[in-house]
Amino acid sequence: MILSKVLTRFLVVLSFFILLLSPLSLYAAGQDETTDFLSDDFYEDTADVAPETGDPLEPFNRAVFQLNDHAYTYIFNPVAKGYSAVVPFDIRHIIDNFFTNLEEPVVFINCLLQGRFSDAGSTIVRFLANSTIGVGGLVDFANREIGLEPVEATLGETLGVWGIGDGFYLVVPFFGPSTLRDFTGTVIDSLAMTPYYTCIDKWSVKTGIYAEKTTNDLSMHIGEYEDLKKLSFDPYIALRNSYFQYRKKIREHRVFPENE
Amino acid sequence: MKNKLLIQLTLACFFLVTPLVSHGAQRPDPTEQMKPFVHKVMEILKNADFKEDPKCIICKRLIDVSRERFDFNEMSKRVLGRAWRKLNKEERADFVDLFTRLLQYAYIGKLEQYTGQKVIFKGERIRGKRAEVKTELNDGQQSVAVSYIMLLEGDQWMIYDVIIEGVSLVRNYREQFKEILRKEKYSGLVRQIEKKVKQLEEERRQRFSQKN
Repeated sequence: MILSKVLTRFLVVLSFFILLLSPLSLYAAGQDETTDFLSDDFYEDTADVAPETGDPLEPFNRAVFQLNDHAYTYIFNPVAKGYSAVVPFDIRHIIDNFFTNLEEPVVFINCLLQGRFSDAGSTIVRFLANSTIGVGGLVDFANREIGLEPVEATLGETLGVWGIGDGFYLVVPFFGPSTLRDFTGTVIDSLAMTPYYTCIDKWSVKTGIYAEKTTNDLSMHIGEYEDLKKLSFDPYIALRNSYFQYRKKIREHRVFPENE
Repeated sequence: MKNKLLIQLTLACFFLVTPLVSHGAQRPDPTEQMKPFVHKVMEILKNADFKEDPKCIICKRLIDVSRERFDFNEMSKRVLGRAWRKLNKEERADFVDLFTRLLQYAYIGKLEQYTGQKVIFKGERIRGKRAEVKTELNDGQQSVAVSYIMLLEGDQWMIYDVIIEGVSLVRNYREQFKEILRKEKYSGLVRQIEKKVKQLEEERRQRFSQKN
């Protein structure tokens, strides 16, 4: 019963995604974000012409950006600030560990789908160790004692590895910067998490969990968005560019080269 | 803790002396050139009392020290991209000056929040005349990845970009400036930067007048 419900939802999202994505995947992938820092020649003409991942919805995105900005300034940030004043850092860190641990199986599957087998291996070891010795994921035992750092892998990245383009840049209400491909991946990733939540029937409880996770995440990064806004000339472009650069960094899974 | 600092300082002194001994026969190492500079900045920050400094005299001192290791000229060049080539000598000098002032208020002002974080050197890579020195800023609770992109000028490695958690300062500003240059040309960009610097100066002044 539950399974069929999940499956139907999955199929609906998937078909939506295939319909939207296929004709749009021809958009040029961002060039500025993919150039290595050590071979970035500012004087090349191409440096200025090279397009970022397309932003054909810019007017719409800017409107959502405004909405998120207000939501952040008047709701999320005050809540996170109050929260971080009441809840000590150590506890917030434990909560962060707990949610990270819940996501590990999804990360594991994405690692497999991307052919990153050693990352998949360390993710499953992390999950098993942290769920048992780490008291249900409250302590990141695997990182502290075995030196297995958390691995990043999302469906958005998997689809990228499979050669599907970003589509276009997308600012999602109450979620933030993403691309069509990546946000679709995020939705499916979180649907894959539903087994945890299917035992909770009440919508209010599910929302509560999501709110707690978001607030907790945010409480670890207070002040970053204000700084970005204060120091930039066009916060919309600054955030868009930061998003693509940051995303590139977390998807670089090679070890930092000592020398070349 | 004290011991560690002592060791670090000794190491720093050692690295300062080494180039003299080896007589520059070796290729200069970016990390070793960074270390004494980082120590110098941290010393200033440790002894600084920002609360008693409404005019940000320490910021100016930090900028002066930064000139040892930062190439603000190269930074400005990269932030402007193609537009740089259309400027004459004077305009270029003026822009470097203006952009340095922006950095002074924007980023050095942020160092006021310094509360004894440690800089950990994580490695380097060199390609031709360019290098990346990877560091981690750690306050015991959270860590921030900061990379310095450097250019070899003579026998000195000079920083021209700072990458915080994968986000390049220069690329981020270039992306914003590109739009402004397209819509408002170079003069419009200069006006906007001047406005921003004034605004940051004003904010700082207000913060101090509120306190007193």
